[in-house]
Amino acid sequence: MNRENNHLNDRVAIYAILWCLSYVGSLFAIKHLGLALETSIMLTIISVASFALFIYKYFRSIFFMDEVQIKIQMEALVFAFAIGLLVLMTLGLVDLYIVLNPNDWNYRFLVPIFITLYFAGLFIAKRKYNFDNEKLN
Amino acid sequence: MKNSIKVERAKKNWTQAILAEKVGVSRQAINSIETGKFIPSTLLALKMAKAFETNVESVFQLEQTDYSKI
Repeated sequence: MNRENNHLNDRVAIYAILWCLSYVGSLFAIKHLGLALETSIMLTIISVASFALFIYKYFRSIFFMDEVQIKIQMEALVFAFAIGLLVLMTLGLVDLYIVLNPNDWNYRFLVPIFITLYFAGLFIAKRKYNFDNEKLN
Repeated sequence: MKNSIKVERAKKNWTQAILAEKVGVSRQAINSIETGKFIPSTLLALKMAKAFETNVESVFQLEQTDYSKI
């Protein structure tokens, strides 16, 4: 079970890395290389497709998780979603009376924010369920 | 809810990894259940009891505080 899960996690991690590379690469190319509109659209589609593939592999990996792992993943996602909404709501309200500089805040910032919140949620949930504790083995 | 997984494992001389393999979950999941941080599903509880060749009530027991919630 552990070996199968590790293998699955490795595969999901590979797709996550592929998405990260395509997204960061597209971001850099579109922002700094002054590409034609068609090329920019193509790079955007590549990023979206690689993310869709990563999410598909992630959802598939859930089927092979045990009930504790599923609960940990669920709590991490709930944490990221709830706190992410809180951040969006707060910034949305602030934006009504203070004009935010696009260099300080834009839609692209949501990606690292949600990823960070997911990993924070994962850390909290794993601690809650004593999931990585090796002492009692 | 308390459990006697550690005692049952000791009787069989099993590590958490061996029990995990027998019931089809991760070693970390067994640790979470054994330390009382996670309450397993009925299916997993029954699988554990079967692995230990006993009944569920011998492995998992309700505590007084659990009865007060009923």
